[in-house]
Amino acid sequence: MTIIHLTLKIWRQTGPESKGSFKTYESGPITTAMSFLEMLDVLNERLILNGEEPVAFDHDCREGICGMCGSVINGTPHGPEKKTTLCQLHMRHFKDGDTLVIEPFRSRAFKLVKDLIVDRSAFDAIIAEGGYVSVNTGGTPDANAIPIPTFMAEQALDAAECIGCGACVAACPNASAMLFVGAKISHLALLPQGQPERSKRALAMVKKMDELGFGNCGNEKYCEKSCPKGISISNIARLNREFMRAAFCSEE
Amino acid sequence: MQLDHRIPSGPLTEKWDRFRFETNLINPANKRKFEIIVVGAGLAGASASATLGELGYNVKTFCIQDSPRRGHSIAAQGGINAAKNYQNDGDSIWRLFYDTIKGGDFRAREANVYRLAQISNQIIDQCVAQGVPFAREYGGLLANRSFGGAQVSRTFYARGQTGQQLLLGAYSAMMRQVKAGKVTLHPRSEMMDLVVINGQARGIVTRNLITGAIESHAADAVVLATGGYGNAYYLSTNAMASNVTATWRAYKRGAAFANPCFVQIHPTCIPVHGTYQSKLTLMSESLRNDGRVWVPTRIGDKRPPAEIPEPERDYYLEQKYPSFGNLVPRDVASRNAKEKCDQSKGVGDTGLAVYLDFADAINRLGEAAIRQKYGNLFDMYEKITGQDPVKEPMTIYPAVHYTMGGLWVDYHLMSTVPGLFVLGEANFSDHGANRLGASALMQGLADGYFVLPATISSHFSESAMVPITTSHPAFTEAIDTTKGRIQRLLSINGKRTPDDFHRELGLLLWDHCGMARNEAGLKLALGRLPELKENFWYDLKVTGSGADLNQTLERAGRVADFIEFAEVMILDALSRQESCGCHFREESQTAEHEAKRMDDTYSHVSAWQYQGEGQTPQLHKEPLVFENIQLSQRSYK
Amino acid sequence: MSWIIKVFRSSIGKKYIMAASGVCLSFFLLAHLIGNSVSFWGKEAYNSYASHLHSLGFIIYILEILLLLLFLIHIVTGITLFIENLSARPTRYAIQTKERNWSASTMPYSGILILLFLLVHLLNFHFITKTVSTAELVKTTLSNPLIASFYLLSLSGLTLHASHGFWSLFQSLGINHPKYNIFLQRGGRAMAVLIGMTFILIPLLIVTTDSFLQ
Repeated sequence: MTIIHLTLKIWRQTGPESKGSFKTYESGPITTAMSFLEMLDVLNERLILNGEEPVAFDHDCREGICGMCGSVINGTPHGPEKKTTLCQLHMRHFKDGDTLVIEPFRSRAFKLVKDLIVDRSAFDAIIAEGGYVSVNTGGTPDANAIPIPTFMAEQALDAAECIGCGACVAACPNASAMLFVGAKISHLALLPQGQPERSKRALAMVKKMDELGFGNCGNEKYCEKSCPKGISISNIARLNREFMRAAFCSEE
Repeated sequence: MQLDHRIPSGPLTEKWDRFRFETNLINPANKRKFEIIVVGAGLAGASASATLGELGYNVKTFCIQDSPRRGHSIAAQGGINAAKNYQNDGDSIWRLFYDTIKGGDFRAREANVYRLAQISNQIIDQCVAQGVPFAREYGGLLANRSFGGAQVSRTFYARGQTGQQLLLGAYSAMMRQVKAGKVTLHPRSEMMDLVVINGQARGIVTRNLITGAIESHAADAVVLATGGYGNAYYLSTNAMASNVTATWRAYKRGAAFANPCFVQIHPTCIPVHGTYQSKLTLMSESLRNDGRVWVPTRIGDKRPPAEIPEPERDYYLEQKYPSFGNLVPRDVASRNAKEKCDQSKGVGDTGLAVYLDFADAINRLGEAAIRQKYGNLFDMYEKITGQDPVKEPMTIYPAVHYTMGGLWVDYHLMSTVPGLFVLGEANFSDHGANRLGASALMQGLADGYFVLPATISSHFSESAMVPITTSHPAFTEAIDTTKGRIQRLLSINGKRTPDDFHRELGLLLWDHCGMARNEAGLKLALGRLPELKENFWYDLKVTGSGADLNQTLERAGRVADFIEFAEVMILDALSRQESCGCHFREESQTAEHEAKRMDDTYSHVSAWQYQGEGQTPQLHKEPLVFENIQLSQRSYK
Repeated sequence: MSWIIKVFRSSIGKKYIMAASGVCLSFFLLAHLIGNSVSFWGKEAYNSYASHLHSLGFIIYILEILLLLLFLIHIVTGITLFIENLSARPTRYAIQTKERNWSASTMPYSGILILLFLLVHLLNFHFITKTVSTAELVKTTLSNPLIASFYLLSLSGLTLHASHGFWSLFQSLGINHPKYNIFLQRGGRAMAVLIGMTFILIPLLIVTTDSFLQ
């Protein structure tokens, strides 16, 4: 097992209103089989024993699906590995002596809570505007009543894989949420169940997205590169189509 | 304490219908007068919140994550069972019911499990209508796959992320109610105490995890959907924040804890590789459909797998269980892996692993087909271990995964505290002593979408509800207790971190109350708990204050509860001297080393009642009556 | 009609404006390029093309106003987006990712460069009392090394701008299909380079060859 030593420059900020700054820590010996978050755990255990406040960072499932973790490592959300959340990034991808600059996701719509933790409730607010099919529990038709072509179900799932981590916003030079919204709109627009509310959904979700202070899409593709689930920007194109259709052709 | 299961009378197949007909309904105009608190926003919590909101109740939903879309149900990979019989392979509600009871080694209630099997079909309809993109055949109809413990294909799936897709469905239904004003969300809030007034659950005390504020919320009923307690073992497949705190607080306020020793150890997880390790990652059981489990036949054979010729490989599951082969239930697969490793046939650096080999399936179906089926699982494995399962076999080892035990609930899913309902993994109800794969999602959604919304109205219509506000002295008392406890945690200023204690507890439980248990080990562990607890309250170190976001404090509170909880778990394991399902008492095994049940003595649910600080909890038994199926020794040969 | 205003005020609506005006400007660019290319056939051909163009009278006048409007729409919307985007991230990152997408991330800046160029270009050739033939005017103006290098720089900026813009406008209008994406992306970039290089050729030839437009 290989041991490496790293220099960590971590953004420390006690609260949303206080002023933050970078603080430099030596990682101590890190085995390359550790995950990135386990490396932070090791640092935090040491800080606690020294009586210092540990670095606050969001994490939960640690298997890359809950979408809770995420920081910007040397300018890249979730770090250098493609299609990998921070919790699934392993230290074997770093070299002895590397310096890692660890910053929180930055966007006007994601307010900083503490250290590396940001408030992503804006995403929930967007979903509340129409990221659902309005069916009540019960009284639904048999699951096989409407056949759905495999490629359609698969494409819908490609979009629905979004874990809502916010890396797309963090990566976008304009802090735009178009990939997140595009993924949800695509997921439902591709399925027959999503058709009745298709136009209403596109208009309402885009309106909310704009109100929340996200930036505008510049088709720069940084979001796609940083997305731990590899959500494609074809979903943004679909959102553009859906919005056009809803804005100019629907009666909504 | 009286354990009244309130199972409706009449034939098994008619009980649920009869219950729904005989229960008192609440006028739609009156529903909006009721406030319901839901704690937890996984599958059970989100689906309950959504449905209760749709019905017109006012719901307050709490979760510890930053968003209700992150409950750990999201990590379920393999699928969800339903008795649709779309494959025409002989499935039926009765078969799903039977498989689940048998899989649980006959330690679950017939009536609950039959209801679960009945509802399973509605769940699939509901989820498809919500836009859950299940896998489909080329003709456009839903696809199924088979899973451990069943000989039919009844599992619906969405690649390896079924839990995620189902949770997003439930979450979106709930967000619709948030928009409609029927559900109010309280993310990043942790339940610290249950408030019981006049014998009824009437509210909770929470800690706002951002500001540290201790808040109180009154309601007409409290629903706990806070998941299982697998993290008592420190290393488990649970999320880092999964905890026993909410159910433990409820226990201390009078809710009985049932079968706490029933902990499922999942056979296919990525093996442990270091002391710093924070969690274990599960590889879906569906992998056993195409993967073959083996170890070298020779003890201490350290050759790389590719160099071990076919005759020197021990495909022990296939040999021992010819009819189920690699698809035996989880407990059987786990125990056999442990047995092989105990014989020093384990592989990998630690010797605590067995191979799960896809070479045959790749030869038979081609690499592309296997990648299409398990691609994301293979990627996950490769990310963590740096090895490609297509090129060399996976190494796997069992890990703590799911807890069948939980708060005791009756047929209405109500605990022994009236007005306190418990859903999903947090209750004990449907899986007996072992849960079958793809049944957890089914149970969480059955409880949340269909059972609770039907049973809660009978509680409201049958009990006298006095108006209560948070100014009631019971709230003040609960707030003071909570604040005092936090203050105590902060003021110890010792030398050990919460994780350090957690690791010690976890190891103790894993060694003595894990895959195999015996009286001596359990007594030893029980004896060491008081010391651990004392050390914890003497030598703990928590930095920072209680007045802002403090993750160390959060963890400390949870670890404190796990330490207390461990006692009940071990007591339960001690008192159940039979082996059943996941609970393997070494004293009780057949000549072939299979679990041996003792139906005459232990065909009951063990429910533990809190007796006060420092007192041994009292055991109550709810006898399990089997009228419809014949109890048999499980055999997967 | 308030819905139209709502649509074009939205983030996606503004992208439609950028894309649609971008399409029109691309056609103008193409037309301008074809006109300019006449210069490769010599001074006479070029002068004759210029005088034919000027003889169109009020049609050219209307086209000029339309073109001005298009530019204004593209520029004003672009600047609005630029400001909005800046304020969407009040705190910048300390480290920028190494994998930059140069043409995309410089869009606002290459846009501003093109705007400056436009002003200089109009001052050079439009708001001027013409005493000599168009060919001579072009030749003398661009013989100034300062002006010529500014043209080279700006036209490179235009190439950069278009190399992202051509594909981007399809994406903004929702035109994205796995079968055609490769053509849109590569074709867009090739087109930008072709147009940009052809434009650049004129000042380059003037500076380097005496015989050009002589």
